[in-house]
Amino acid sequence: MLAAAVKLVPQLLCFAGIVLVLLRGLHARRSTVIAGVGCGFLLGTAATLVLFRTVAAAASLAVIRDVIGAAFLLLCGVAVASLYLSTGRAATEPPSGGFLRGAVPVGAGALLAGFVSAAICASRLPDVAAGAVPAALILVVAAAALIVAASALEKLLPASFTASPASLAAAVVALLLFSSSSIIRLDLFSPLTMKVMKFTHDFVHQFFESMLIPDHLFIRSYLWGYIGLFFGKEVGFWGGMVIWFAPALLILLAVRLEPLPMVSHIRQGAQRRRLLAEAIRNRRLKLVLPLIATLLLGGAIYKSRFPSVEYWDPKPVAVTPAASGEIFIPRKGEIELEDGRLHKYLLKQGGREVRFFVLMTPAGKLTVDLDACAICKPDGYGQAEGTVICYYCKTLIPLETVGKPGGCNPVPVQFTEKPDGVHLDSVALANLWSSTVQSTTKVKEGGK
Amino acid sequence: MSATIETAGLTRSYGDICALKPIDLQVPQGEWLSVMGHSGSGKSTLMNLLGGLDRPTGGALSVGGQDLLALAEDGLARFRREYVGIIFQQHHLVPYLSALENVMMAQYFHSVPDEAEARLALERVGLGHRLKNRPSELSGGEQQRVCIARAIINSPKLLLGDEPTGNLDHKSTIMVMELLRELRAEERFTIIMVTHNQDVAAWGDRTIYLDDGVLVREERMGA
Repeated sequence: MLAAAVKLVPQLLCFAGIVLVLLRGLHARRSTVIAGVGCGFLLGTAATLVLFRTVAAAASLAVIRDVIGAAFLLLCGVAVASLYLSTGRAATEPPSGGFLRGAVPVGAGALLAGFVSAAICASRLPDVAAGAVPAALILVVAAAALIVAASALEKLLPASFTASPASLAAAVVALLLFSSSSIIRLDLFSPLTMKVMKFTHDFVHQFFESMLIPDHLFIRSYLWGYIGLFFGKEVGFWGGMVIWFAPALLILLAVRLEPLPMVSHIRQGAQRRRLLAEAIRNRRLKLVLPLIATLLLGGAIYKSRFPSVEYWDPKPVAVTPAASGEIFIPRKGEIELEDGRLHKYLLKQGGREVRFFVLMTPAGKLTVDLDACAICKPDGYGQAEGTVICYYCKTLIPLETVGKPGGCNPVPVQFTEKPDGVHLDSVALANLWSSTVQSTTKVKEGGK
Repeated sequence: MSATIETAGLTRSYGDICALKPIDLQVPQGEWLSVMGHSGSGKSTLMNLLGGLDRPTGGALSVGGQDLLALAEDGLARFRREYVGIIFQQHHLVPYLSALENVMMAQYFHSVPDEAEARLALERVGLGHRLKNRPSELSGGEQQRVCIARAIINSPKLLLGDEPTGNLDHKSTIMVMELLRELRAEERFTIIMVTHNQDVAAWGDRTIYLDDGVLVREERMGA
């Protein structure tokens, strides 16, 4: 129980941070913010419990992650709009600026922020799928206490510290992303890098294939060595970074580009300069929240690279084929194939190393797969909470789909299941590794 | 005319030593008040209190309607920054900055620097041709005029002078006094000037005399 509570501390602190920035940014609507965020948290906790009881955990988490993703996309839109408005196209605050500070939008925004925060927190509760009502009640009480604390803390902040709607949105979304980044199935950065990597891979592959580079008269095939740079994890990582930080940086830029007030009509120089200095100081203070958002997004990346979930990653057991080339893995013995865990094996043949694993899926069927997919470098897979994860691209694959070919799934291996165990052909296995893994990824190293 | 400065029983003690005994004083807005007295009579103490450079140990002090005793340190700093200009006997110019940069530095601490405005201020005090010169390349009178430009650049309501002509010859003294008179006519600021020199004091509207921290006499010029 204590361990579960400790695990929730970062998420609850992020929630308190959200309340704090909302109260400061919308201090004219304090009661609306407090009511909205409180009700949102209560509803979010209840909705998450219901969701987990009615839908599978993986699907429930996917729903929450999609909502966080939608918030990020919304922030991208806000960032572009704020940059557009800051470039002098609107001399005064846009009409929407007043609207956004109205009671209804403020209440709705606070409600939504509280709702998503609660969903993130509640998804970490132990036995959430079984309906952990007492734990959820404690969570709600803790959130209420944090709202009171944040409200008291907000009053201590200097009066000159204000935030534009865009800065506020950046801080809230960054806190949500930071909050979710340590929960592997709610983390957005890893899937984002994967998407970028796959997009780059597909685009570059199709583009150069259509140019027939390997067969071109003037362009030699060794160019694939350079083109292959686009297929690495680094492309996904850096591309993901650009997308990840773009909204916060655009908002920073928008604040920086905000025009200073017109002072040329003021006769007295000192008064003119005082007004300018005040505007510059206010603008600097407006940079604080987007800067904090940028730092939080950086922190989310760090946490995303080092997820808090421990993976089941057994050391591969060396196997030796019989004279006929057949590999036999017994069903029972030192390793129990039917325990639902990933069991890795290593075949050394002709200077090559082939890793594969045997796993019993939740449907009760044994599956044999390469410890690699056809897309990424063969870093292998680990297992955690109903999924296997590709160590290279951090993609989570539900256990139900392991054994099916395509995409990021481990490459399935032909085998024969008999009452005594699993039988497979070593030559076919080695050929499969050579043909699907190494030829596609153009790497020399043998994985983990 | 509203009173810019009002004191009631204003006192300043340093331990057992009472540098300024209770003083009641009113200085209307725009007045040029000269403060005379021998060394140790409390002239500079009074000036420091009126300019918010020091805090009294007793009495009441209001400048431009603001109760200085009620201001916290940052409030007092803001008051000095926006309300007071000071000219010292020792010029206290930054030796490695030019005349123009010395004036711009005052703008920087007030709000933001504005070179054109600083240039204009130096032209007003007759130093348009010495903008790029450092203090060591200027005469005493010229340095004091840079100080005046620095003191007025932020449009103070109160200009304090602590023996501003103490180091100047007669000609330079006259030049500085005439300049201050012109500027006061244009800007309508109040001047409080501490001096030992009766001729300099005579440039003011009124002179008060201090002796051992007590206001002993008051004299209105031209009366």
